[in-house]
Amino acid sequence: MGSIGYTTLSRQSGLLNEIQVVANNIANSSTTGYRSEGLIFSEYVKSAPGQESLSMGRANIRNTSLEQGTLNQTNGSFDLAIEGDGFFMVETPAGNRLTRAGNFTPNAEGDLVTADGYRVLDAGQAPMFVPGDAETIAFGSDGTLSADGQQLGQIGLFMPDEEAQILREDGVMFRVEGETLPADGAQVLQGFLEGSNVSTINQLARMIEVQRAYEMGQSFLDNEDKRIRAAIDNLMKS
Amino acid sequence: MRALQIAATGMSAQQLRVETISNNLANMNTTAYNARRAEFADLHYQQVSRAGTVNASDGTVLPTGVQVGLGVRPSAVSIYLNQGALSQTGNDLDLAIDGNGYFEVTLPSGETAYTRDGSFKRSAEGLVVTNDGYPVSPEITVPEDATSVSINAEGELYAYFSDTVEAELLGQFTISGFTNPKGLEAVGGNLFKQTEASGQPTTTDPGSDGVGTLRQGYLEDSSVDAVREITDLIEAQRGYEMNSKVISAVDQMMSATTQVR
Repeated sequence: MGSIGYTTLSRQSGLLNEIQVVANNIANSSTTGYRSEGLIFSEYVKSAPGQESLSMGRANIRNTSLEQGTLNQTNGSFDLAIEGDGFFMVETPAGNRLTRAGNFTPNAEGDLVTADGYRVLDAGQAPMFVPGDAETIAFGSDGTLSADGQQLGQIGLFMPDEEAQILREDGVMFRVEGETLPADGAQVLQGFLEGSNVSTINQLARMIEVQRAYEMGQSFLDNEDKRIRAAIDNLMKS
Repeated sequence: MRALQIAATGMSAQQLRVETISNNLANMNTTAYNARRAEFADLHYQQVSRAGTVNASDGTVLPTGVQVGLGVRPSAVSIYLNQGALSQTGNDLDLAIDGNGYFEVTLPSGETAYTRDGSFKRSAEGLVVTNDGYPVSPEITVPEDATSVSINAEGELYAYFSDTVEAELLGQFTISGFTNPKGLEAVGGNLFKQTEASGQPTTTDPGSDGVGTLRQGYLEDSSVDAVREITDLIEAQRGYEMNSKVISAVDQMMSATTQVR
């Protein structure tokens, strides 16, 4: 008898997780290089001997949308966007991370760094250096950096290996557990930033769906509560 | 309910964006003003079920797991260092920098500040000063009896006198370049101060070492692009509204929960 409530409860707690994911996507709808995330629910079957099988829903897969975000022109010399599949690699105290957010700037030492101050790495995974007295800075579509017409280095573009695990971290970064490979198909665009790839319309629609499904679950619990109460009342009378 | 807090971080991020935009629009006609832009990054993630967790006795692992983000935070309000348009004023002490770099001025406290606003004037003593009266460094004095001054692209200031034919070299404007000009601290009054992040200035004559050249009789306009700011404003406003919708949706879910009993 109690399992009816638990089945609904598994759905309700999954929906609470999902509204959180939707809220996070909407909150990050203006975050440079942000990748939209979603939850996928799966059936979780539990059968006890001599009973009918019971299936519960649980969120067990997160998917990150790798769709291209919109490119916004900023004209900044160190604003880079990636067109195609690939990530920039940045060096953090906890190890190398991948990111699509290309709002870089040179620091006081002339190293190219992210908005959080982490160094951006080149194709050979070494820090990128930008001379402070250069008049014009240009990045080619393959990521080649040149200052006043002189070639200085190439910004690295990487892809996680197909079997690698990708974990999200704060600061629009991804941690890769496994191999990373150079990304060949991607292009670098200077003077552009890639916006968040969150489709706010879809997220709002999803939010309404989640909200209604949650209310439905609650009214189901409500009715179940009434049913049990009526059963108890009737048993007491007889 | 974490979704409420997540939406609240989204609302405050959009609010910061609107504040930055309104400051840009307010400075649409400020000499040599550069537009600012708020940049955001996501907050940390909560591991609901970790990727790589063993899911069955045969060693099957979860390929992605479940991570739930906790919102957004502002990562920077950075200056967009675009060259503003040069507008002609005809004043012989109005200077525009065509290219990178800043003029150096000495504040009354003795500290050094940097500016791109070259609308200089003469003080009562003949010193070349900014609109606020701070002397340009290195100091240049233009005598009262000079009939006109001429400043060339390399920053040399020549004065003409009624009793001589040849112009007299009175001083030299210098320009300071920074490795990371975005790291300068804006202190108001079109002035910037050096910080740890900007690095040490390299002060040279205009036109050398990657700094710009001077244009006499011109001022640099604000580089704010009104159309861009307005479209950004619309985006920010809708973003704010969308986050508030999330809050009301979560609120309704919560009220559904409390109505069960």
